[in-house]
Amino acid sequence: MKKVTIHTSVNHKHYELEIKPNLTLLSLLREELGLTGTKCGCEVGECGACTVLMNGKAVNSCLVLAPQIDGQEIVTVEELAIGNKLHPLQESFLNHDAVHCGFCTPGMLMSAKDLLDHNSNPTEEEIRTAISGNLCRCSGYQQIVDAIQNNNVSPLKG
Amino acid sequence: MKQFEYFSPKNVVETCALLKEFENDAQILAGGTDVLIELRKSSVKPPRAIIDINRLNELKGITETESEIIIKPLTTHTELGSSSSIKKHARLLHIAAHVIGSPQIRNRGTIGGNIMNAAACADTVPPLMALDATVKLLSVNGERIVPIIDFFIKPYQTIAIKNELLMEIRFPKLLDSMKSMFLKLGRRNALAISRLSVAAILRKSDSGLIQEVRIVPGAAFPKWQRMTEAEKILVGQKPSKELFIETGKRVSEAMISFTGRRWSTEYKEPVIAVLVRRALETCQ
Ligand SMILES: Cc1cc2nc3c(=O)[nH]c(=O)nc-3n(C[C@H](O)[C@H](O)[C@H](O)COP(=O)(O)OP(=O)(O)OC[C@H]3O[C@@H](n4cnc5c(N)ncnc54)[C@H](O)[C@@H]3O)c2cc1C
Ligand code: FES
Ligand code: FES
Repeated sequence: MKKVTIHTSVNHKHYELEIKPNLTLLSLLREELGLTGTKCGCEVGECGACTVLMNGKAVNSCLVLAPQIDGQEIVTVEELAIGNKLHPLQESFLNHDAVHCGFCTPGMLMSAKDLLDHNSNPTEEEIRTAISGNLCRCSGYQQIVDAIQNNNVSPLKG
Repeated sequence: MKQFEYFSPKNVVETCALLKEFENDAQILAGGTDVLIELRKSSVKPPRAIIDINRLNELKGITETESEIIIKPLTTHTELGSSSSIKKHARLLHIAAHVIGSPQIRNRGTIGGNIMNAAACADTVPPLMALDATVKLLSVNGERIVPIIDFFIKPYQTIAIKNELLMEIRFPKLLDSMKSMFLKLGRRNALAISRLSVAAILRKSDSGLIQEVRIVPGAAFPKWQRMTEAEKILVGQKPSKELFIETGKRVSEAMISFTGRRWSTEYKEPVIAVLVRRALETCQ
């Protein structure tokens, strides 16, 4: 299978990569770039655990073919914290007890970031819509909604 | 995932040439929300070439003329849902765009992919059919324009041949006197019987009588169609709850006459009737 060369930016770092085309963005991030913060759940677009930002918009990385990120900008959950200092949205998730097993958390954070980047003061309904593509088996969602609503950060860094 | 060669042509001419070269062995890739799932299924024979059309800027964007709306196939559901032209001149399509999948799916999935994939539950299709849309197809053999009402054969099958590219979707703007609605029940992956939708357009005269009506159910028939028999009983009448209930009944009778009575009918029969009534009542 012919490899494809792509130029891309992941977490504001430039990469030139030679990749097999039959790779998803999710496997590229986790297996080739070692960015395992993005989680692999259903791989069919249902759970949202694999959510990353592509050109600022939340997408399921399991449904993006890796060569498609040529020339595009990807931001993953690793970009939120600076060193050991958590991003305020991450702090807010902890403070609101919104992280139980934590499997959904990276995806939730990225969907929340997309929302807050475009709308610093969302209503509860807007928050619920924004995370409607992210499943959580543990929390019952209310803590997550509260964490996003009461994050005292706007505009978000990242 | 299966093996294939990946191409990302830069213009339409190159794309058509590639599609011709690989004939039945090529698959066009737009947002990928249907294609990637197919590529991962072990039961499906993979294409030899994946042709990513995302570099084709001429396939992006929504424009309007005095009388028409023109949507290019790479328009995502998010873009469709946030377009002021669509909201103003095709409200039912605006609503449909908002209820597709999740934000992540709407950010990637395109209207072109929705039409070409032709799933029975494709949510943009009933509105486009009610809007009397046409689609333009292109291949090395030339261009053709087809009314969307003639485009589908059955679920997952259209009259487009494998190497044809969908170029644009076009329909007349709704007049100010035409009110519209799209209602949907159930999620795509929910048990199939719970998926039903209705697109409706209703035009009233100044005196309040119904002048024109178009009803297209989604996921109810083996093939999408206008409910011409049911529509007839409304024209020239004053809108009323009884009349809308009667119309709903007619649609569900039409559905049963097509699909026969099966195990899901007990659920679908009353639900489609209620959806039709509510869609007509809430046209605005
Ligand atoms: C979790 C999930 C939820 C979903 N929910 C919904 C929903 O609620 N409602 C709904 O309607 N759909 C839903 N879908 C299905 C899908 O997202 C839509 O059908 C979407 O619009 C497909 O667009 P795409 O750009 O991703 O298509 P792709 O996957 O890129 O392509 C789909 C098909 O169209 C062909 N194609 C694409 N563009 C062209 C073109 N310009 N010319 C010729 N052929 C072309 C491709 O070759 C392929 O056969 C869902 C999917 C997932 C994974
Ligand atoms: S892993 Fe991508 S949506 Fe579940
Ligand atoms: S915290 Fe466990 S899935 Fe959300």
